[in-house]
Amino acid sequence: MSERRVIVVGGGLAGLAATIRIAEAGIPVDLFSMCPVKRSHSVCAQGGINAANDIARQQGYSEYQHFDETLLGGDFLADQAPVLEMANFAPRVIDLLDRMGVPFNRTTEGFRDLRLFGGSLFKRTHFAGATTGQQLLYALDEQTRRWEVEGKVRKYEFWEFLRPVLDELDPDDAIGHVHSDKRCVGIVAQDMRTMQIRSFRADAVIMATGGCGLIFGKSTNSVICTGGAASRCYQAGAWYANGEMIQVHPTAIPGADKCRLMSESARGEGGRIWVPRKADDDRKPTDIPEEERLYFLEEKYPKYGNLVPRDIASREIFDICINQDLGVAGQNQVFLDLTHKDPEELDRKLGGILEIYEKFVGDDPRKVPMRIFPAVHYSMGGLWTQYTQGDYDPHQPHGAHNPGDTPPIATEPGHGLKLGASNNMMTNIPGLYAFGEVNFAYHGATRLGANALLSCIFDGLYNGLSVVNAVRDAEFSAADAPQSIFDHAVADEQTKTDALLEGAGSGEIPDELNPYIIGLELGEEMTAASTVVKTGDRMRQAMTKLDELSDRCSRMKLNDAAAWSNRTLSYARSLQDMVVLAKVILKGGLQREESRGSHYRLDFPDRDDENFFKTTVAEHVPSNPDPIRIFYCNVDARLVEPRARSYGEKKAKPEQPPAQTAGAGA
Amino acid sequence: MGHEEEGTLAKRYFLLRRLHSLTGILPIGVFLIFHLTTNSSVLWGAANTRAHADDLPGRGIATFQHEVSFINNLPGLLIMEITLWAAIAFHAILGIWYATTGKSNTARYPHMDNRRYALQRLTGYIALLFILYHIATLRWGWSFLVPGGVTWGHEHAASTLALALRGSADSITVAGLAVSLFYFVGVTSAVFHFANGLWTAAITWGLTISTAAQRRWGVVCAGLGILLMAMAWGSVVGFLFTDPEKAREIESAMHPEEDSTEHTARATTDGAP
Amino acid sequence: MAASNAQQSGKRHIRLKILRQEAQDKLPRYETFDVQPEPGANVISCLQQIAARPVTASGEQSTPVAYDAGCLEEVCGACTMVINGRVRQSCSCLIDQIAPNDGDTITLEPMTKFPVIRDLWVDRSRLFHALKRTSSWVPIDSIYDRGPGPKELPDKQEPRYVLSTCMSCGCCLEACPQYNPRPDEKDWDEAFIGAHAISQVRLFNLHDTGKQLKSERLEALMGPGGVSDCGNAQNCVKVCPKEIPLTESIAAIGRAVTVHSIARWFTAR
Ligand SMILES: Cc1cc2nc3c(=O)[nH]c(=O)nc-3n(C[C@H](O)[C@H](O)[C@H](O)COP(=O)(O)OP(=O)(O)OC[C@H]3O[C@@H](n4cnc5c(N)ncnc54)[C@H](O)[C@@H]3O)c2cc1C
Ligand code: SF4
Ligand code: SF4
Ligand code: FES
Repeated sequence: MSERRVIVVGGGLAGLAATIRIAEAGIPVDLFSMCPVKRSHSVCAQGGINAANDIARQQGYSEYQHFDETLLGGDFLADQAPVLEMANFAPRVIDLLDRMGVPFNRTTEGFRDLRLFGGSLFKRTHFAGATTGQQLLYALDEQTRRWEVEGKVRKYEFWEFLRPVLDELDPDDAIGHVHSDKRCVGIVAQDMRTMQIRSFRADAVIMATGGCGLIFGKSTNSVICTGGAASRCYQAGAWYANGEMIQVHPTAIPGADKCRLMSESARGEGGRIWVPRKADDDRKPTDIPEEERLYFLEEKYPKYGNLVPRDIASREIFDICINQDLGVAGQNQVFLDLTHKDPEELDRKLGGILEIYEKFVGDDPRKVPMRIFPAVHYSMGGLWTQYTQGDYDPHQPHGAHNPGDTPPIATEPGHGLKLGASNNMMTNIPGLYAFGEVNFAYHGATRLGANALLSCIFDGLYNGLSVVNAVRDAEFSAADAPQSIFDHAVADEQTKTDALLEGAGSGEIPDELNPYIIGLELGEEMTAASTVVKTGDRMRQAMTKLDELSDRCSRMKLNDAAAWSNRTLSYARSLQDMVVLAKVILKGGLQREESRGSHYRLDFPDRDDENFFKTTVAEHVPSNPDPIRIFYCNVDARLVEPRARSYGEKKAKPEQPPAQTAGAGA
Repeated sequence: MGHEEEGTLAKRYFLLRRLHSLTGILPIGVFLIFHLTTNSSVLWGAANTRAHADDLPGRGIATFQHEVSFINNLPGLLIMEITLWAAIAFHAILGIWYATTGKSNTARYPHMDNRRYALQRLTGYIALLFILYHIATLRWGWSFLVPGGVTWGHEHAASTLALALRGSADSITVAGLAVSLFYFVGVTSAVFHFANGLWTAAITWGLTISTAAQRRWGVVCAGLGILLMAMAWGSVVGFLFTDPEKAREIESAMHPEEDSTEHTARATTDGAP
Repeated sequence: MAASNAQQSGKRHIRLKILRQEAQDKLPRYETFDVQPEPGANVISCLQQIAARPVTASGEQSTPVAYDAGCLEEVCGACTMVINGRVRQSCSCLIDQIAPNDGDTITLEPMTKFPVIRDLWVDRSRLFHALKRTSSWVPIDSIYDRGPGPKELPDKQEPRYVLSTCMSCGCCLEACPQYNPRPDEKDWDEAFIGAHAISQVRLFNLHDTGKQLKSERLEALMGPGGVSDCGNAQNCVKVCPKEIPLTESIAAIGRAVTVHSIARWFTAR
């Protein structure tokens, strides 16, 4: 029998954690990334990573409470079993990262320090300065390098994933629930420098390609986060779930090229959000007396204050600026104020992000309140994945869990998910897995701050074992798949590339066919139609626009014909795939006629559990007139009874006329 | 390459590097300090009231001659000299090799430290040329390289040296001035190279770690450098303006028998008026 | 601030003079572009503008400039290039600061110490190779749960954190007179390793478990291309965007290898 191999596409936290897990089990890994893995988007994460811990436990907190919070935060749209497993496993993730040398902030006595984060009343967020993602990614990058030196990992950096290679599935070989007549036996990828396109075989392929913020133009994401890879899997037959659930982060610094995040940790460390009570108050912010400031989050949500979940904070800021016209200096911005804090402590705990503000805006946030506005940040939606349930079944879902209550279930692995089950976090296509942000599984309709890093690493470490088992136990080996399917896949991609390059580089291009212009229009349209506040009409309008854009995409002309290191080609190809994914996002949003978490519709402002307590699933059916087929799966809610998500809101929100739906960053 | 082999190569490489650093300080640097002290005695010797002369310049000349004679009568002088020459050769050869691995970029990054990095290499080359000339002419007697063709003699240390720098006994010739200028540049380079080398050595060996410590040690090295520079420049200027005739008289008076072996004994009693 | 930016940027033009090279084996040449920076623009947003309409200042149709970028907030290190003769990140290079007046020119060149892939995009593999050379990782037993890592007081965590923010951007290498191009991979094990890797050795030798590989790392730094190849020009520390105390790391490692070599002389068999 030939050697089994695994391909990991993506070298962010999820991809690297999976790589380490699988390499340690003795299975060689081919690791693909569009950038050197150390530069993956995960470096941007600032605030921290959540896990129950001894301090919080002594105040009545528990893994179970973390689980319950995450469900509530996500407005109960997440399947519950994987969330339970993740919350239970979280402290082990932190311990391991600690052992790998992550310089977590320490207390005077040398214990790991903790901070407060949104959606919780307990300090349960571990952090390393204000560059936690960077520090975690580096730790995993180092371990990966170690396995590279050992010869267990081969890196393909500056390689772009183009598509999975699928073979006919023999029903006898099926694992998990059978949702496809295909299996994944490898990938096609392109070297971004030499432009060589080739195929790679693997017994399992893990997609860990992160989010899709670039569909919205300016977001807090890195420039690689196009969602192109996910879209390519979708177009190859993988299901895409809850695409409409896009998180808009309340506090970002609008910029010319991107919106830079001002982490939630700024509020976790005491930052307060306010606007002058009087519109167009042109005094210096520090001169405005306390009673003339409107701390609108604290007033409305006395319990959670500035730390309500992100969708709520974003909507409130939006409401203040767009509907009440109270934005600072008449613009779309509010103050995020840290000036009352001790500058030295700020430097120790938030240095990294304060520097970002200083560098990119020019003001010192220790002295002047920062000016921020919401921006697209994270995709809760992603490739649909399945799992095998663990042994916890309460028969009757539990109600709300309060601090100090005894958790109904212990924390060993195996209660939520079945540890090592071959189909954990596998897409509908056997052999194709999705880990990290590209996996839709954990965050429902809104992700709580500092839960993403956790879900990424949890996927890699915990569900990596599932891949190991699947590959080890399988009768079938990718080595037996016929060469012809690989050759066909490569030839297809080559044809696509050649088509894109046809007529490239010959003179000026009309804006209509210019990929960079189409990209800008896509971003503007999606931001305006499908972010903080949505309406059916606006989304339908956007759909028409997207039809136009995809038509233009199909006739695109490139201004670079180079057969070497042609990044325009790579962008243009991603753009085509981004438009496809954008439509999935819009269509899901249109059909979800309710408001839930990040998905807020003016025309359907309430949560509708009767009709929409369901996962949106999109399937690509190229033979249909509208190739996006949307269907719904029931949410696994055996463990906790869904309840209203109020966060102690004080007075009901006054009805606003459906004034505008101009999007974030506008 | 096997692991063993790699290990030994690494070991040798490190040893060579550290020896290079060490030789710069011991013996070369230490010798430089003594040598400059001796040479500048032509100036500070003026304060030596016990010297065999009446006026101030004369006292300087006498003191210098006294020092030189003392050194020349040290036992094992040749061995010491050969050690020194070997150390210089070792330091120079390795230094040149190392210098070829770097490529200065002071135009783009005009920081003081970077300028010093570039100067360290430049002064190394200059100092080496200078030392070669200095030893060849004054020690090995390659008088054809000296304007006026004088050969240095330790019994007439000051006068012959003055002649070599001036180019002629009567006046300072153009060729003499050129030699003096070369001396000036040479000693300046040597002193800078030593003082700056002392500063970097502390980093190389890990004596100064914090930026503040590096700054403090920098002040010490600069101080030492200024002191040595004063002695070096003083020596050159001092000898340039020494009257060779007068110096010869004083020297001759100090050892009439022209017998260096006896002089050792005399030297000890010389102090008595 | 937004307002003042707008005033400064207004509708003014600036000129980008870019050193372009189609591929490694092609000759480099300069090309200039005029752009109208948006308020708060940085070098990347100007390059994005050019990508959409790559017409040179003299009106010729050209191609988008190839460059590398990721986070756009100076934390990934991808976008490093030489701007007006000085190496730095292009994403944090604000136009209003570097070219405040109408008509100002900004010169963009690729880093000179690494092979050019295309235009401003270079291949920094040698930089990552250095991290392999020095075993820059903590040798954990396995990923299985064994409880927390070693307890650590803030006075150790804080310096470790600073060292650990190195984003492998290569500024310290670009500015270093001792670090010079080595296109052949075979030379990498003997060529100067650079300040970043020396600093990483310090980082891992400070960690209680990381210490296990201390001698291996020090020995790697004692060989050719190791710490003794540093010429103390101290450029590295001045260009490091993360303000990592590189020269202190170099000195600390200098001390460590001194001690190590003496100890080895007494103890090695
Ligand atoms: C500014 C910011 C701050 C954040 N802060 C926090 C925080 O404090 N706490 C928290 O929990 N979460 C935070 N998040 C969210 C979190 O950082 C991300 O969700 C997470 O890092 C995603 O990791 P990942 O491994 O899934 O993917 P990524 O880190 O995005 O990596 C994707 C990888 O896939 C590769 N890739 C993509 N497409 C292709 C292709 N076509 N071919 C080959 N390779 C490809 C890329 O090269 C890259 O290596 C933050 C996010 C942002 C934007
Ligand atoms: S101090 Fe050393 S590493 Fe830093 S720039 Fe100078 S020679 Fe290079
Ligand atoms: S040490 Fe500084 S300059 Fe060097 S690679 Fe790291 S971050 Fe960049
Ligand atoms: S793009 Fe990441 S540092 Fe500039």
